[in-house]
Amino acid sequence: MPTTPNAQNPAEDAQDPGAGAPEGSGGTSLLTRKADRIDRLAELMGPRDDGSGGAGIWLTAFRRLRRSPMAISGAVVVALFVLVALFAPLIAPYSATAQTWGGEVFPNQNIFVGPRAENWLGLDNLGRDQFSRMVIGARQTLLVGVVATLVGFGAGALLGGTAGAAATLGGRWGALIDNVIMRVIDMMLALPTLLLAVTVAALVGPSLTTVMLAVGIAQVPIFARLLRGAMISQGNRDYVVAARALGVRRHKIALTHILPNSLGPVIVQSTLTLATAIIDAAALSYLGLGNPDPSFPEWGTMLADAQRFLSSAPQLAVYPALAIIVTALGFTLLGEAMREALDPKLRK
Amino acid sequence: MFTKSSRKPLALLAAAASVALLATACAESERDPAADSSAPFVFASAGDIKSLDPFLASDGETFRYSRQVYETLLEHESGGSEIVGGLAETWEQSEDGTEWTFNLRDGVLFHDGDELTAEVVCANFDRWHNLTGAWQSSNNSYYWQTIFGGFAENEDEGLPDSRYVSCEATDELTAVITISEYSSIFPGGFSLAAFGILSPTSLETIADAEITGEEGSYTLPDYTSEPGAVAGTGPFTAQEWNRDQAEVTLARFDDYWGDPAGFETMILRAIPDETARRQALEAGDIHGYDLVAPADVEPLVEAGFQVPTREVFNVLYLAFQQETSEELADIEVRRALAHAVDRQRIVDTILPAGGEVATQFHPDTLDGWSEDVTTYDYDPELAEEMLADAGQEDLTLDFCYPTEVTRPYMPAPRDIFDVISQDLESVGVTVEPKSFEWTEYVPNTDSGECSLYLLGWTGDYNDAYNFLGTWFSVKNDAWGMDEPELFDAMAEASGNPDPEERNAAYQGLNEQIMDVLPGLPISSSPPSIVFAENVNPPEVSPLTQENFSEGSWKED
Repeated sequence: MPTTPNAQNPAEDAQDPGAGAPEGSGGTSLLTRKADRIDRLAELMGPRDDGSGGAGIWLTAFRRLRRSPMAISGAVVVALFVLVALFAPLIAPYSATAQTWGGEVFPNQNIFVGPRAENWLGLDNLGRDQFSRMVIGARQTLLVGVVATLVGFGAGALLGGTAGAAATLGGRWGALIDNVIMRVIDMMLALPTLLLAVTVAALVGPSLTTVMLAVGIAQVPIFARLLRGAMISQGNRDYVVAARALGVRRHKIALTHILPNSLGPVIVQSTLTLATAIIDAAALSYLGLGNPDPSFPEWGTMLADAQRFLSSAPQLAVYPALAIIVTALGFTLLGEAMREALDPKLRK
Repeated sequence: MFTKSSRKPLALLAAAASVALLATACAESERDPAADSSAPFVFASAGDIKSLDPFLASDGETFRYSRQVYETLLEHESGGSEIVGGLAETWEQSEDGTEWTFNLRDGVLFHDGDELTAEVVCANFDRWHNLTGAWQSSNNSYYWQTIFGGFAENEDEGLPDSRYVSCEATDELTAVITISEYSSIFPGGFSLAAFGILSPTSLETIADAEITGEEGSYTLPDYTSEPGAVAGTGPFTAQEWNRDQAEVTLARFDDYWGDPAGFETMILRAIPDETARRQALEAGDIHGYDLVAPADVEPLVEAGFQVPTREVFNVLYLAFQQETSEELADIEVRRALAHAVDRQRIVDTILPAGGEVATQFHPDTLDGWSEDVTTYDYDPELAEEMLADAGQEDLTLDFCYPTEVTRPYMPAPRDIFDVISQDLESVGVTVEPKSFEWTEYVPNTDSGECSLYLLGWTGDYNDAYNFLGTWFSVKNDAWGMDEPELFDAMAEASGNPDPEERNAAYQGLNEQIMDVLPGLPISSSPPSIVFAENVNPPEVSPLTQENFSEGSWKED
């Protein structure tokens, strides 16, 4: 999976039946690996005896997180990024779209303006303040990331929740429903994320909404499979048996007992998905499927634009590229750290 | 030159294709061309050709190929825009301008061994005139319809009567072509690459060729993709057309009537991405390419490449479609918008050196250019005032631009769009951007999808009507302008056989057009072309009609 941050999970490689096959040789090994990782995360909320002395799983996880340098650096990057994005209009010194210094940049003669006192990161090819564009661009990036993740989360939770509830409590018909939903999800999972996103974007036409939708839809199968797994592993636990014995209605058990207890891994996955969503959104914009308004700053679009001037003004490409990398890294670090903190088997 | 040529639809595809091209080209680059004068000369263009028979084409890339293989009755002088003899050594027109007598060159041989006679020329014209069915679609006979109107039997009522009356071979080497009325598009029309003369044997074999399919998805007859199926008289013969690699291989024709070609073999290769073209040249995989990005010119010169300067022969404009947006029907609004655009900045920062702001709809190198047209200087405050006076403070307009394409008159469409829309927004106009890929862009703008759009034109021959008449001879959906007086004046000017009176009429028309202001002419700029150091390049042509047989390897 080129766009999904790879987990440092040794157990996973051992389980991978396709480990010996060359990378990308077929859908099976990719599918199995991705599915395995999702299932592994889902199991984490299952019954266990990890000797944490009665402390809640979230509390122990938080204690572990506090000591993890990975988590701290990730959190710092994420916090910085979110702050910049939220207060972007206050931070940006100039308008991100006004070509205020348009007369000073001559792309046709390779004359560009680098960093200087009034423009900290210099000017772009149309004489706009690069720093302001980067800051406003952060806002777009966060918006796309969050909305895409919410779309994936919402649709995925709906599908996965239905499948999970049906499998646990639905009996024979429930197993059938579960089967149908999950096979569809498996098909979606077999498609590489970016390919799925490009397909959606090509169908709907280029716009910012498209990018958010496309990236979100590409995340649906992951969330669905994750939630279903978590719900099934919750389904056999004592409190569910007790509730059933008491005669609580089945939909009530699913909604008020099983679901809230299964959300942990899904929330962790959301953090990881944010990183993926940011990269995928940048990739889609880069391919020209993003916002059609070219004056609207977005890191992926800025990167694609700067390509033309790579030989004479490499800084125009370096800034957005670095920003994308660092932000995605921040979310990945935080997400992976959270996942490890929740996984007792991975504890050092 | 019509603007329907295009790049591959997806950037992805284009990138993949150019990577593939680069990969395959690497194997060839190991040979040192200087040491071996029979090495192929490889020239990269922005797009693949459409058809081996130029008659079916309307795009510059096909004509670049066909000019090397087929010849027309008249041609443009090497490196200029004056009309000189091609297959016809001399020519004359009757006093009323309806009879054109062409005295053909003696001893001209076709690639298949046939001899050029007046009868062959007439057979070619008669074939075009008598085409039927799908051939009559403007997709398949654009230039015939532009120059000669309709056909012997028009199948579509919308087609005008044919201007072509007859062609007579009065003796072995004298062909007399009669047209129904005088028009300034002649003799220029006889020089169009689409009217390349084919050999009589070829004409026989393709007599029954049919175009199948529906409007918009025609399948061209097989002969148009079989190299050598149709023979011409040019300095090169078509050897191979590799569609997968978008590559046409030409070989020197040894029995050519004129000076033989300097290169034994020449390959025309399509590399859509301008950066990939530059890299291929720097790597030595190709020996020249067209449409150099303005920013690349200086680094290439410094690196020792030859970048000859072309004369300016095009115009880029911003069209105001008056029917798509009612607001644009108000002349005051159009004037306000014209004052709002900083055209000088576009010329200074985006266009290649040598470009200049256009004051009217054709470059000043053409007769008929007027000094006295109304000019619209950049004055945002005045623009804002005028908009307020017209009651359009909250004007909203959609504005189209093409993606993933560079045109000779428009090196970076999006940058130009960005500058203009920023200018418009700063006088209070809300711009709704719309973008299309080139293949959709031209039909969309032609059918009035866009209120504002960027487009341009490179002249086919040296006559103002080739510019003005293309746009403003009838009411059409591209402009939505309804000015019967202007259209009548246009027809009258074009039909006037007296050159001086005609040019005066064109000057008047230019002034009239700039008062009506159907759009804002932005610039005229020279498109750049580059050659490797070890090549004697052909004369570069303002009409982008280079004759590659003039080129050769430098001897050292």
